[in-house]
Amino acid sequence: MTLAFFTISALDLLSSLVPNTTPEERAAYIDWIYSCQIPSGGFRASPSHDLSAVKDGSAQWDPANVPATYFALATLLILGDDLNRVRRKETLKWLRCMQRDDGSFGETLVNGKIEGGMDTRFGYCATCVRYILRGKREGRDPTSEEQDIDVDALVECLRKAETYDGGMSEMPFHEAHAGFTYCAIAALHFIDRFPWPICSQPSEGQRAFNKMPLRKEDIVSTTSSEQQGGRKTCGLTSPNLTIHWLASRLTATISIEDEEDTYADETDTPETCHDAHSFVHTANFPTSMGETSEKSRPSSHFALDWVGFNGRCNKVADTCYAFWVGAGLTLMNASRVVHPTPVRRYLLEQTAHIVGGFGKLPGDPPDVYHSYLGLAALSLLETAAQAAHESPREGLRKPMEERELKALDACMCVSIEAKSRLYAIWQRWGVHDGKDRDGGG
Amino acid sequence: MGKHDDDPAWSDITPLPTSEGGPNPLAAIAYTEEYEDTMSYLRAVMASNGFSPRVLDLTEDLIDMNPAHYTVWLYRAQCLFALNSDLHVELERLNETALAHQKNYQIWHHRNLIVDKLDKCEGEQGFVQRMFVKDAKNYHVWCYRQWLVKRFGLWEKGELDFTEEMLREDIRNNSAWNHWWFVVNGREAEGVAGVTDPDSRAREINFTKDAIAKAPQNQSPWNYLRGIARKSGISLAHLKSFAEQHASLDRPGAVKSSFALDLLADILGKRRVATSKLVGRMICWR
Repeated sequence: MTLAFFTISALDLLSSLVPNTTPEERAAYIDWIYSCQIPSGGFRASPSHDLSAVKDGSAQWDPANVPATYFALATLLILGDDLNRVRRKETLKWLRCMQRDDGSFGETLVNGKIEGGMDTRFGYCATCVRYILRGKREGRDPTSEEQDIDVDALVECLRKAETYDGGMSEMPFHEAHAGFTYCAIAALHFIDRFPWPICSQPSEGQRAFNKMPLRKEDIVSTTSSEQQGGRKTCGLTSPNLTIHWLASRLTATISIEDEEDTYADETDTPETCHDAHSFVHTANFPTSMGETSEKSRPSSHFALDWVGFNGRCNKVADTCYAFWVGAGLTLMNASRVVHPTPVRRYLLEQTAHIVGGFGKLPGDPPDVYHSYLGLAALSLLETAAQAAHESPREGLRKPMEERELKALDACMCVSIEAKSRLYAIWQRWGVHDGKDRDGGG
Repeated sequence: MGKHDDDPAWSDITPLPTSEGGPNPLAAIAYTEEYEDTMSYLRAVMASNGFSPRVLDLTEDLIDMNPAHYTVWLYRAQCLFALNSDLHVELERLNETALAHQKNYQIWHHRNLIVDKLDKCEGEQGFVQRMFVKDAKNYHVWCYRQWLVKRFGLWEKGELDFTEEMLREDIRNNSAWNHWWFVVNGREAEGVAGVTDPDSRAREINFTKDAIAKAPQNQSPWNYLRGIARKSGISLAHLKSFAEQHASLDRPGAVKSSFALDLLADILGKRRVATSKLVGRMICWR
């Protein structure tokens, strides 16, 4: 299901889905996705797991899967399906069974036990499924009559996984990671517990930054207060620090060789630390090796032509983090803190592969995952460049033949066009969301 | 014909072939014949929830071919426990698989289940160290290390020494910095204060400042320093003179660290002081 989503959504972003497939083929793809639906709710990850032909108690080894359910629903939207055949009530009921007491979500339910890590990827997929099927409103859903997930417990779980440096992790005390940070931010959007508005009230984040411990009322969402008539806990204790952490993922360390240079060498020259630009002047050297490399450095200014994003502090850049970080910043209304051109150049000139698609690192063979997220990142960068009144091709040394990509919804990670089909479907179901103020889910 | 079809040991099982879901499958995967064959036997066994030594062999074969199949790992764990298998043997086998597949996630979950059941962690720290020789920033391995420390109470059994050694090898290893934070601050729920304790805080701040002195343009210790301030409620302004050592506003060309400059910007910005000199330095840096 993952492969199906990446492939179909990539074609959609490239505006190549409809021209390259027939209506019959698309209808067959839709049937294929529905063939993966489990009668008791949710979708299985692949038809190869299907044990439904066997009658006795084997269903436990053919469970619905949380990420697969998100991928299935998103792919159906992209293919223009009306979600009529989705077992909505059953899926919402199943979704609640996938949440643990601590608020986290798992991947599958096997033998009554929630399996899979505790990480925020599953919380992200689960809140997206919930959003597609019933919108943002909390409490019992009047149209399906299904109870809600425990939203407060999920928020608490996400807050606990914040790290000392402002990033987010999968569990308390694990290292901050851009993928988990994105998933947490997007999940908070889907459940409307994001601390809006950040940028229109900078003092709010500033207060949060200064104070520890933080009072909950400092970061409460005005949206929720108005809507719910009460105060709800929002995720992210310190939004500005999270923006700072995301923006700090920018790095000029873009190849494995760059990274290896830093190993066991503590000197800060451009040769050993690629994020040390030429302003760094070292007066004395802890090692003779450092002195040698200082002397050999070129006198010209190091240009930051290609800049990527890493997923963790002091790691090499990777194509996929251009999405995880870029989308995280977009959702925090802070994409302007990054200059889009060097990142676009990094993707188009460094990790794009000659046979098409994107690899993880410069020169790596392309794979479906990095190719999709590379496209998704480029779409967001195009939007950011437009917003900054820049020509999207500005600064490209070799102008590349590239198509305009469809605009991406940073939260659902599908084209805004595909996501907007949801509103008609909600209308049919009687779902009133009414306050989709961010337009991004 | 697959290799199990001719095997008398499997003659009682009717294989259950996989399907790619109809005539127009999306993302159909071209599995090898051997994989398809082995999988069809495992599916037949799973359908009747059968656990036996020969099933263990099947899961082992499948994991060798595709170590990312989470259902197979789960089934193997249940099978091992149902058969009361020797879990030490399983750990030995896992060592090889883990070393061969550095980025595999399922294997660490499996190892977690096995070691939890064994209730003993002998040799585990050593194995983790072997993994770090290949990749000292492997996320799964650091997560597993944290679990070991918590599960077996290893807080004061050389964990800081180990982490310090990792930082000595690479002062830019943020995973090691994060682990250090965990060892110092991870027991607050048990009443052991971390950097909120003044003595501990002083030690941590000195440790971090020494690390910055070695390599000023290193984001990890700067983040760590800010983390200490934030966690213990002390103002960033206390770090002003230290930041200025690495980013002097008076001496052009004496900026050794963009992170020092960043910290100064936050400190001075909060004071609402007009900082033309700082802005001047920021422009140079850009």
